[in-house]
Amino acid sequence: MKRAAYIFIISLLCLVSCDPEPVLIGESQAIADAGHTGVYVLSEGLFNLNNSTLSWIDFSTGLPDSWSAPTGNSYDCFEKVNGRRLGDTANDILLYGSRLYIAVNVSSTIEILDAATGHSLKQIQMSRNGNPSEPRYMTANGHYVYVCSFDGTVTRIDTLTMKADATVTVGRNPDGICCTAGKLYVSNSGGLDFDNPDSTVSVIDLATFSEIKRISVRQNPGSIYADGNRVYVVSRGIYDYDKNDYDSRLHCIDTENDQVIETYDIPILKMDLHDGQAWFYGYGSGGTIQILDLASGRIIDSDFITDGTIIERPYGIKVEPTSHKVYVCDAADYVTPGSLCCFAPDGHLLYRIRNIGINPNTIVFCDVPVTLNEYQGEVQNKSDIDSVCQYMPAPGQFVGEMPKYEEGDDSLSMAGKCLELLQKGEMITLGGFGGYVTVRFKQTVHNLSGADFRIDGNAFEGSSEPGVVWVSADVNGNGKPDDPWYELYGSEQAAGRSTKGYTVTYTKPSASNMDTPWTGSDGREGSILYNAYHGHYYYPMWYDTATKAFTGTLLPENMYQEGTKWVMSSFEYGYVDNLSNSPENSSFDIDLAHDSNGLPVHLDSIRFVRIQCAVIGCNRLTGEESTEVSTIYNLHPDADQ
Amino acid sequence: MTRSNTFIACLTAICTLCLPVEAQGQIFFDTIRTENLQEVPVTAERTAGARSVSAQKIADTRLMSATGSLQVSDVIKYFSGATVKDYGGVGGLKTVSVRGLGASHTAVAYDGIIITDNQTGQIDLGRFSASQAGSVRLVSGPDNDMLQTAAMAAQAASITVSSVRPELGGKKQDTKAELKYGSFNTLSALANTAFRAGENNTIQAQAEWLTTEGAYPYIQKNAEHSTAKTRDNSDVHRLRAEAAWFSTLNSSTDLTVRAYWYQSRQGLPANILYNDEAADERLWNREAFVQSSLKSTPGDRLTLKVNAKYGMTRTRYLNPRVNNRDGFTDNRYIEQEGYLSGVALYRFTDYLTASAALDGRLSKLDGNGTNQAHPTRATMNASAAVKYASQSLILTGRLNYVGTTESTKIRKAADNYSHLSPVIGANWLVWPAAGLHLRASYVNTYRLPTFNDLYFEQIGRRDLRPERAAVTSAGIVFENELQALSISFYADAYNSSVRDRILAVPGKNTAVWMMKNIGHVVTHGFETGLDVVKTEGRIRPAAKLSYTYQRAMDKTDSQGTTWNHQLPYTPRHSASAVAWIETPYVNASCNLIYSGRYFSNGYNGPEYSMPSYYELGCSLWKAINLKSCSLTVKGECINLTDHRYELVANYPMPGRQFRLTVTVDL
Repeated sequence: MKRAAYIFIISLLCLVSCDPEPVLIGESQAIADAGHTGVYVLSEGLFNLNNSTLSWIDFSTGLPDSWSAPTGNSYDCFEKVNGRRLGDTANDILLYGSRLYIAVNVSSTIEILDAATGHSLKQIQMSRNGNPSEPRYMTANGHYVYVCSFDGTVTRIDTLTMKADATVTVGRNPDGICCTAGKLYVSNSGGLDFDNPDSTVSVIDLATFSEIKRISVRQNPGSIYADGNRVYVVSRGIYDYDKNDYDSRLHCIDTENDQVIETYDIPILKMDLHDGQAWFYGYGSGGTIQILDLASGRIIDSDFITDGTIIERPYGIKVEPTSHKVYVCDAADYVTPGSLCCFAPDGHLLYRIRNIGINPNTIVFCDVPVTLNEYQGEVQNKSDIDSVCQYMPAPGQFVGEMPKYEEGDDSLSMAGKCLELLQKGEMITLGGFGGYVTVRFKQTVHNLSGADFRIDGNAFEGSSEPGVVWVSADVNGNGKPDDPWYELYGSEQAAGRSTKGYTVTYTKPSASNMDTPWTGSDGREGSILYNAYHGHYYYPMWYDTATKAFTGTLLPENMYQEGTKWVMSSFEYGYVDNLSNSPENSSFDIDLAHDSNGLPVHLDSIRFVRIQCAVIGCNRLTGEESTEVSTIYNLHPDADQ
Repeated sequence: MTRSNTFIACLTAICTLCLPVEAQGQIFFDTIRTENLQEVPVTAERTAGARSVSAQKIADTRLMSATGSLQVSDVIKYFSGATVKDYGGVGGLKTVSVRGLGASHTAVAYDGIIITDNQTGQIDLGRFSASQAGSVRLVSGPDNDMLQTAAMAAQAASITVSSVRPELGGKKQDTKAELKYGSFNTLSALANTAFRAGENNTIQAQAEWLTTEGAYPYIQKNAEHSTAKTRDNSDVHRLRAEAAWFSTLNSSTDLTVRAYWYQSRQGLPANILYNDEAADERLWNREAFVQSSLKSTPGDRLTLKVNAKYGMTRTRYLNPRVNNRDGFTDNRYIEQEGYLSGVALYRFTDYLTASAALDGRLSKLDGNGTNQAHPTRATMNASAAVKYASQSLILTGRLNYVGTTESTKIRKAADNYSHLSPVIGANWLVWPAAGLHLRASYVNTYRLPTFNDLYFEQIGRRDLRPERAAVTSAGIVFENELQALSISFYADAYNSSVRDRILAVPGKNTAVWMMKNIGHVVTHGFETGLDVVKTEGRIRPAAKLSYTYQRAMDKTDSQGTTWNHQLPYTPRHSASAVAWIETPYVNASCNLIYSGRYFSNGYNGPEYSMPSYYELGCSLWKAINLKSCSLTVKGECINLTDHRYELVANYPMPGRQFRLTVTVDL
């Protein structure tokens, strides 16, 4: 018994529990990188434990955003903001436009988050015939995000409607997807048939969204990367029981004729490409990071890390394109929370942030300021509006889709649908130049110092579709927008580069698959061009006249071609859907109101806002420029009290 | 445990590794009390085993009844020192580990003979119904029994489920029928009959059928969005039938022959993952065996025992929704086993006994996978023991030997293995007047790698060595009677260590996991219990309390992140209490189990912390003697407070349940 008591006491002394805190090791001043505000780090957690997490590391503090969860201190900003967990085995994260897309493999969902707030805008259940699709990796192009899933499919997600709108069948268990030269390349691993893997890469034409070729490669292809007119794919081969390992190769595919033009005997696991070089870590090479010259296929640095820093198990790698700092996720022993390491271009460790999540696999750089607020229950109305007074879109490819037009709808019912979407924070389209929406705030918006209200759109770099904002007070108090309107001047009106009172008249085409012609008040002519993605009338179906004229302020042309890509550049300030959503980019000050004579006007308060598409560019590939509106906020909701 | 790069085959592998593939072979034979040289006979009231050299716990039918046990695993939760890992519901896998050693170190025996599962090493104690067990006995260390088979004697801890033996007394025939109905449409029916066939022969036949929908409600916790759901695909349908022939060949020789059939089909209750509603994996089992056992005492000094068995188990696992080429996974396995064992015991004097035991076992695993290794393992266990037993002192010493030879159809077979392990024990009646004993033991043991450890696709490694374990234990035990009150108390402390633990870890290629001999665990533990039973009188109350402390530390790598972390699913503190009262009018019981906080992972981070839980239950029963038969009616409530918890992470346990049992004895 004495012995028992002795053991008992000794054991009690060992009752020391450990709560891991994130630790930053290194110089904190080295954190800032190429103007990014920080990085999101996705951690997949352990298989079948439902513990995938998303951490935000703000470059101003260098530490993961932490909060006091009911289960203890947590670095999962997804749970913090959304009041629920991400799910099981989140494999991939993509920042596209102002949104984050997360593919959660075992839970079979795509989460779409607002990057600036971490707020989940939509959870898409990925399934086919009731069976989970198990989404794996993603890529994006134009208005779409493309997801490859283990059930042998690639799904196209419309970034505006946030809905999966088409699916194409590829080979077995796709394990990588990339996009270049107007095509998607998908590696068909077949890895769920352990002894009988697939050995092809599917090529999908973006325009028709159909598989046009399967390229033969070594068995079990996985990670796949695009670099201009080259695609690089890692093929793992068949497992060798004697060596207890794979014997992997790197293929190079020429996108001109979609053929393998080179095969390198380099056992790559994951890599990141920049300027003709690939930073990678390989099979069987432990934590070594190496650099490959893609043109020659030669390893130009067989040990990138110069200061002896040990990466236990590299699990993700990302190179900042301008600073060439190299970020490596270290999964440690796959069970304990891993760390993020940042290396200078010369290979010495700048800093390491420990305990960011279990099995961190992907990082994305973020350029907008991020504010992560703790979950406060389900928000019923995201927009602070109580009425959509008028919804008058000009013709456009998304007209009749956002919101959805159904037989029998009229202007009133379409306005009702707009209200429903805006209150949920979902997107509506205004169509081409002149299309507008008029909304009423729940409360009077007071003109205090600084910005007074905020309107979010879906702009991101190279995709700005600016709309001009008009404001009106409810002077007569009847709740209707029948009071004087004032234009909020943005950078272009202020600089005198805009055209006031420009009128465009659209004519309904004779068939749904035709361009919609227009004439301008200055005699210009043009069309809202038809494209294969949207097979319906672009002219609003609920308009009872065959022509419709819209008058508004026309901003300078901002659409131009850059190589094969179409770019829509942004203006300096003052427009909706012009810059990516953030408190700074999307907010408006009533002090900028001007009357019809162009003179500044002081308004104490307003009740109504009108947003009107103010650009007229159009091309066959990406379609017309059309302002999109999602959430409308009153920035002084408590000013009445 | 899969990572995005670990390829998916690994995922499939793990799923299959975790499959509850059920117990393979069973042998019915009772060796517990055959050697009763000066030993205190076990009675229901005296369960602490005062003369035992190591800690032992026994549950008789009364304790199983008072704890509301449906399955044998339910009553083991009331044993100190044992940790039950329960995936919930009737069909969820239930394994038992003792003293921080891991479930594979606990031998499970039916009627004294070890059951093996060479494929997974895990014996599901949920498959034994409490109705088929006359008693359940856990010994944490060397057993006093000198007629133990060599394979049993080699284990650090053993759980023996003993069948209900026919006790005809003066009757020619005894027949019993029992019907149970409970929550979630759980229905079980049992019929048992035993009769004499001539003067020296008794025949017993028993059949039991169990069916349950298992659709119990649970809460899926998800921060602010927790939802109430119902468990699906957790139905179980089981049939067990057995027949035994007990024969006295002559005054010194007894023969038992038993034939056994078991079949089950069930859903595999899924891991509850967010958004994933898929739960449609199915499992089928068919098991048959015949075994016979002969015990002979040709003289005063010599006792011989011979067992023989042949058994076959078929298992089918179906996952109808897999994103592979076929769109499903359909694994079928057949494990066959032949077994022969002999024990010879020689009594030199009244105090000194020696025994020698030899076991041979041939196991073969076949499956339908193209990549199956089809392994065959021949195992030989040999054991020699001596025992000195006087009124006040018992000393035992044993030397165990194991040797294995393996062969496979494809690829290389695992290395052969041989191991010698010593076991010693002592019990000293230090204060005879008070009935106070001191006891101490040391066990050196091992567990062989399973077929999955060795051969499973990429994960299996042929060069694995067995895990090695050692347990040192010391304690006091006290048994006495005070005015019709039988009191027993024990307190044992131990120190156990497992080296070369077989774990799945990332291999040379970090994307591929494989089995390795890597872990080292040291456990300091303490277990104590108090039983008080009133043995006489019209009103007889009884109470049984137990407490367990386990500090099971990871000692693999002093620089590692899990250094000194607690083993997963091993609470530091756990306790149980049962009380019942028997009166001429009605009998009643209530029971409680409690487990402190523990972790679902070897890394004790907050993300793996599992909260403490308790379960409270109660029952009322009454026996009515009618003219031609006796009738017992029993009502039970399990988890009275409807406490919702998960014992294994993401596998919810059922909440409140009711059950009604009617038993007729003809």
